[in-house]
Amino acid sequence: MITSIANATKMFIFFSELMDRPVLDKDGRRIGEIYDLIVKPSQVYPVSDGLIIRKGFPNRKYALINWQDIERIDKEGCTLKTQGSALNYIEVHDDKKELTLRRDILDQQVVDTYNHKVIRVNDIQLLIVDHALMIAHVDIGGRGLFRRLGFEKMVDLIVNLFNPKAKYLKNEHLISWKYIQPLTINPVSMSIKIDMPQKNLTNIPAADLGDIFLDLNINHQIALFKSLNLANKAKIFTNIDFKTQRLLLEESTDQQISELFNNIPSDEATDFLEKLPQDKTKHILNLIENKYSKRLSQLLGYSGDSAGGLMTTEYIAFAKDTPVQSALNQIKERKFKSEPVQSIYIIDETGHLINATNLRRLIMAGPEEPIQNSAFPKTYFVRLDSSVKEVAYLMEKYKYFAIPVVDENNILQGIITVDDILSQLIAFAWRRLKKIKIFQAT
Amino acid sequence: MRKLKSYWVKILIFLSVMGPGIITANVDNDAGGITTYSVAGAHFGYTLIWSFIPIIIALVIIQEMCSRMAIVTGKGLADLIREEFGVKVTFYAMTVLVFSNIFNTISEFAGIAASAELFGISKYLLVPICALFVWWLIVKGTYKSVEKVFLVACLFYLCYIVSGFLSKPDWKMIASSSISPQFHFDKAYVFMLIGVVGTTIAPWMQFYQQSSIVEKGIKIENYKYSRLDVIIGAFIVNIIAIFIIIVCANTLFANGIRIETAKDAALALKPLAGQYCFYLFAFGLLNASVFSACILPLSTAYSVCEGMGWEIGVNRTFKEAPQFYSLYTAIIAIGAAVILIPGVKLIPIMLISQATNGILLPFVLVFMLLLVNNKRLMGKYTNSGFYNFFTILIMAGMILLSLILFFTSFIK
Repeated sequence: MITSIANATKMFIFFSELMDRPVLDKDGRRIGEIYDLIVKPSQVYPVSDGLIIRKGFPNRKYALINWQDIERIDKEGCTLKTQGSALNYIEVHDDKKELTLRRDILDQQVVDTYNHKVIRVNDIQLLIVDHALMIAHVDIGGRGLFRRLGFEKMVDLIVNLFNPKAKYLKNEHLISWKYIQPLTINPVSMSIKIDMPQKNLTNIPAADLGDIFLDLNINHQIALFKSLNLANKAKIFTNIDFKTQRLLLEESTDQQISELFNNIPSDEATDFLEKLPQDKTKHILNLIENKYSKRLSQLLGYSGDSAGGLMTTEYIAFAKDTPVQSALNQIKERKFKSEPVQSIYIIDETGHLINATNLRRLIMAGPEEPIQNSAFPKTYFVRLDSSVKEVAYLMEKYKYFAIPVVDENNILQGIITVDDILSQLIAFAWRRLKKIKIFQAT
Repeated sequence: MRKLKSYWVKILIFLSVMGPGIITANVDNDAGGITTYSVAGAHFGYTLIWSFIPIIIALVIIQEMCSRMAIVTGKGLADLIREEFGVKVTFYAMTVLVFSNIFNTISEFAGIAASAELFGISKYLLVPICALFVWWLIVKGTYKSVEKVFLVACLFYLCYIVSGFLSKPDWKMIASSSISPQFHFDKAYVFMLIGVVGTTIAPWMQFYQQSSIVEKGIKIENYKYSRLDVIIGAFIVNIIAIFIIIVCANTLFANGIRIETAKDAALALKPLAGQYCFYLFAFGLLNASVFSACILPLSTAYSVCEGMGWEIGVNRTFKEAPQFYSLYTAIIAIGAAVILIPGVKLIPIMLISQATNGILLPFVLVFMLLLVNNKRLMGKYTNSGFYNFFTILIMAGMILLSLILFFTSFIK
């Protein structure tokens, strides 16, 4: 009864417990069984909006029922307020634009943005609120699997017998819907509707986001990439393998490629471009903003394992008489594209490297002092043609997070950060990096 | 000059796409297959060779659909079955698949044991070594390196062709008997025919091939190369089967020797065709058995994890993909352990593996037909009406044959 549902303040029901239950009309005649549930988005949890019922075998027919016409829906089945004869049965059922549970969620792959994984949904837990059902959790555990197979009670009994405190009985495999990103591809726009604020995706570390992305199949990759904002696009693009990168670019328009490349760091861009055939590299360079593309083609000229090939051209540098306060403000205002902020370089009017300082020294210095006064007494650098070994040796010796790279006239060209050197050394030492345990604090 | 260059580009693309089709087809010539073909050759001479022409067509049509589905949807067959037909169907299909592949794996290890005896090595030594090797290859390898090892294993099948030439075949007879089919209406001949056709298309092949194409990430523009991969695979596997029949027909059939197993065949070859022919034949058996003992557990673990939504291993650790590695390890362990039981009877194992294959195949083929014609999944790449007609014809034939095989294996 709707009234009884309204009385019980909170009640959960699994979608599998509703599926295939009988549907009766106002007069108690059986008019089919529950097939699918249509939901519409609302704040966080989508709310039921319609029911698709099915009848007949083997010639199946489907009908759509508005949620207002439902008198009662529970484990026993569903009763309507209207007469069954008013329903219009048709043969197709999967042409709905809205999200539907059976077609889009159940048994499908979705992204779990909490555990940073691609998962398959075994069951969906719904919350009964007033007259409606809300998606509350998805079940990805063994218990959901057993429930779908009809063995839940039996397995529960056996587990209870041997270990009543078993993890299995504690619904630990339920994941809140707010962390779930469905992967349904809209057949018209060929994109994926990003339900949650993209912020949720932004919270995932870039490397994990790349891993999630690589777990998807090609079609999902293309559709998801299309649907993301520029920041997430850049994050994913710089954390996937070359083959997938190339695939994504082949699916992008020139406009999108140009936007993307204007937003990824130069060392990542050159890493990708130097693996491409020459005509393709030229094509992409032509799409990129003039100043930046010149810098990229210059970087591409250096050999991949020299300092010039490893460096990024995004760094923080100030004229030697810049007041400390003004320097700090410029860093705060994100005037620099540079990712690492701990190393700050001091140059003269013509770009010669004079010295270096770091963020801590800046904070400790008086705000009106020229930046030059906060500098380290000595700064070591490498040249464009220095080898990986030389770079690594110097960085280790002087405990640098980043080392500046200068040309033969001592003009600052870029910096090499410790992660770029590490990835070279790891590749060199172990040839391939896999099966390493990753510890993470949440 | 430009033409020559584009020709090279095409070859390079093909080499990068090549693999899944050829590997899947070759695993088909496993220990069981070699036994069937040896017996067919020894008992019926060249008279069964004609049947390989329809087999090639059937193999190409069915495996082509798998590779098309893999490329268009980017999903494995178990994935698609789960997503379109629900968890119940998937669960039972996977249960039968696991069961059937365990028995298939046992018969591969039986092949390893048989070749151990042929080389005069104790099976208690060779079987565990091979089991460890197989396990190590997948657990320590990556998809790319494993595929390369598999392609090399495919190359070793050539030793059957060499041994075929060593037995000095009568080419005129072979040509005439493959062009004009002779059909004998005696019971033994019909059974043999069913056996030869029945071992050619097994349910695990569709799962394995589709998953490995997905893993390779082949794009739709390169689909024609993937189809070529399937076609070449189908031809290679059947040409090798024909050569096995030729070797046995030439020597054993000509001298009226009856055999039961591939081991009998190799032993009987020694006095008739010489030492080299014997060693090549025995080595071929060992290679085929080890190769298939790699692929069957791998393909099973892959399909089950795909369908059940568990993490899939090859590039992951045990902790990240526990179900994958447990299943993979268990199948190899059972396969090897059963063979090491003293006095184990192999004939019932072979029969059960044939029977479970026979139960599963009709379902898998029907699922495939429904999936490949699903417009929502396949878009413009569904089957044409003409293609569907042929496919249904072949499927009906395969289903009928595997059902007959299923029932006769118990009546016999």
